[in-house]
Amino acid sequence: MNHRIRSTRAKRVTTTVAALGVAALGLTACGPAVGATDPSADAAAATDWTSVEPAESISFWTNHPGGSQEIEQQLIDSFTEETGIEVEVVTAGANYEEISQRYQTAQTSGDVGDLVVMSDATWFTNYVNGSLLPLDDVFAAAGGDASTYNTTLFDDYLYEGSHFAVPYSRSTTIFYYNKDDYAAAGLDAAPTTWDEVQANSQALVEAGVTDTAFSFPPAEDYPAWMMNNLVWGYGGGWSDEWDASAMTSDETVQAVQFAQDAVLDGWANVSSGSPADDFAAGATSQFIGSTGSLGGVTETAGFEVGVAFLPGGPVETELVVPTGGAGIAISASSTPEEQLAAAMLADHLTSAENTVAFSAETGYMPVRSDADASELYAANPNFEVAVNQLETRTRTQDFMRVFLPGGDLTLATGLQRILTTDADVAESLAEMQAELEGLYENDLAPQLEG
Amino acid sequence: MFLAFAGPNLLLISVFIYFPLLSNAYYSTLNWRMGSTSATSAGIDNYVRLFTSPQGAEMWRVTITFTVVTVLASMVLGLLVALALNHRIPGITAGRTAIFSPYVLSGVGVGMVWNFIFDPQLGVLGHVLRSFGASSPEWYLDPDLALVMVIVVYVWKNLGFCAVVFLAGLQSIPSDLIEAARIDRAGALRRFFRLTLPLLSPTVFFLTVTNILSSMQAFDILKIMTPSGNGTNTIVFELFLQGFGPYQNAGYAAAISVVLFVVLFAITAFQMRFVEKRVHYA
Repeated sequence: MNHRIRSTRAKRVTTTVAALGVAALGLTACGPAVGATDPSADAAAATDWTSVEPAESISFWTNHPGGSQEIEQQLIDSFTEETGIEVEVVTAGANYEEISQRYQTAQTSGDVGDLVVMSDATWFTNYVNGSLLPLDDVFAAAGGDASTYNTTLFDDYLYEGSHFAVPYSRSTTIFYYNKDDYAAAGLDAAPTTWDEVQANSQALVEAGVTDTAFSFPPAEDYPAWMMNNLVWGYGGGWSDEWDASAMTSDETVQAVQFAQDAVLDGWANVSSGSPADDFAAGATSQFIGSTGSLGGVTETAGFEVGVAFLPGGPVETELVVPTGGAGIAISASSTPEEQLAAAMLADHLTSAENTVAFSAETGYMPVRSDADASELYAANPNFEVAVNQLETRTRTQDFMRVFLPGGDLTLATGLQRILTTDADVAESLAEMQAELEGLYENDLAPQLEG
Repeated sequence: MFLAFAGPNLLLISVFIYFPLLSNAYYSTLNWRMGSTSATSAGIDNYVRLFTSPQGAEMWRVTITFTVVTVLASMVLGLLVALALNHRIPGITAGRTAIFSPYVLSGVGVGMVWNFIFDPQLGVLGHVLRSFGASSPEWYLDPDLALVMVIVVYVWKNLGFCAVVFLAGLQSIPSDLIEAARIDRAGALRRFFRLTLPLLSPTVFFLTVTNILSSMQAFDILKIMTPSGNGTNTIVFELFLQGFGPYQNAGYAAAISVVLFVVLFAITAFQMRFVEKRVHYA
């Protein structure tokens, strides 16, 4: 009897151990490779593109930025007509973040788009994951000419000597003001420096035209992007490549202190929702927003909308405009045939002619320097201001905001705390710097260093 | 024979429940980003970070506050509503339907509608307050007010469920017991605390367990109303932000979900083991 019990117990133990062993094997087999070297190296494996023929069908993952579903379909139809390549358009998310999340989780199954919309703040994570193809060679093999892309926009996707996307739905920030309010306050020109923004704002409030002359964005509306202009103007920044000490430089502290003082002095506020909505509703007279909002704000506002170059600061007056928006990238896990066809589609979607058609429907910037946007300017003169600013004032964004996972949110919540309380600016920025450095050291540096 | 009947179910449970559970525990020991084919071993670092970092402490504070307040408020208000609905008055059926209907609405839709109410500049509440000469609180900018806001909305949505369950409990109490107490000249409060409430204890127990479980897993309303989690980072919301949101730290998110599993398991086991002893089944 005892022998039988012992035998049964032994069988159970053996079965349990075996099951755990199988489970452990399964876990390590299904999971990521632990301790593997630089994953991006796989994506960079050379392909002889001269021997590759484009695939007959590919997929395009997009969130239809700026309500572009219709124009995207038109451009894709013309592509299919020209090349015979069928394109399955997949709505892969409602915004850039959702597309990136889906793209990342789909890597496990391998069922990913061949050409994918990637924002400036999401492509780098996918590059680090090794899931984007360096596209300089395949783009050239597809007959594309990358030399006519706006250099700043194209180089936003440059890392370690390779480009990982081409610009598609691109925007910058720009200064919006209510021309009717300006006229009522006796102001005749948009500000060109932050001192003038302060003077104009105080004049608007003192004239009784508005209670809120200027609105900063809340954490949800990318304050680190919108305020990049201010800190650059003061000679500061969120980081110098991966060095976050710029966060606590005297220049950055002064810039952020200026913003906090603006709110405490009462000529500016922090919008609870979107400054663009508040502005269009007449609740604020000025804000800094995306050029992508130009069409919507102009259409919604019940007054004359003015736009101007972003104001300069006491140190830097010219290169104070951060770029934004999204590009299109090619999946590293697609076959070479699909990658070549995806490169052909990327070139088609962003050709000089098609980028203007896309801009006309969405409000995003033409991404080619040889694009003729004269018809757009005639229809909306404000658009010309935005394009001129793009060509003369832009610079690539700080790494810690756009490349570091969680970097933008850390900056956003920290800036909101500074602007909505009387928190010590230098101390708060020091805390944010420490948080950014912790994220970098824990979550990114090990992978970048291989 | 056993395997023939139970085998398919066991297989499905193993594949879709236990295997992901074990996988998640394994991922919690990695420093890994979703979608990446490589990872580094983190040992117990993710757990240490969860229990020692300021962000981890803030997550626990928000989770406990949110759970305690929403569970208590939903149950107390739900009981009061049920007591009010437990009378034969005209339109009572429509009243019960109206009270219960928010519970079946999508949390995303509820969050969006309440955003239109709370928005200080453009919302209905701000408009009403301004008409009385008051200004709207900054619900979205002040982390404490943001937490109050999502608690209000969450309680509003879940109140109906508690009310309907309490109503069913009230209607299952034998009327002769109430009648006997009344004949013995027990007052309304005495009847409620000495008779009704003890006989409702199975309902209270059921609602306590289910409400704690659902409050600790609340997500949709929080995500819609406060997308970046300013002051509303409950454990599940933080799990999303870390694993799928901007931080892209799937290993840390897996550690959070393991701890969430253990905590919920422990709370439920504690309630089943000790609290249920105080339940009076009629």
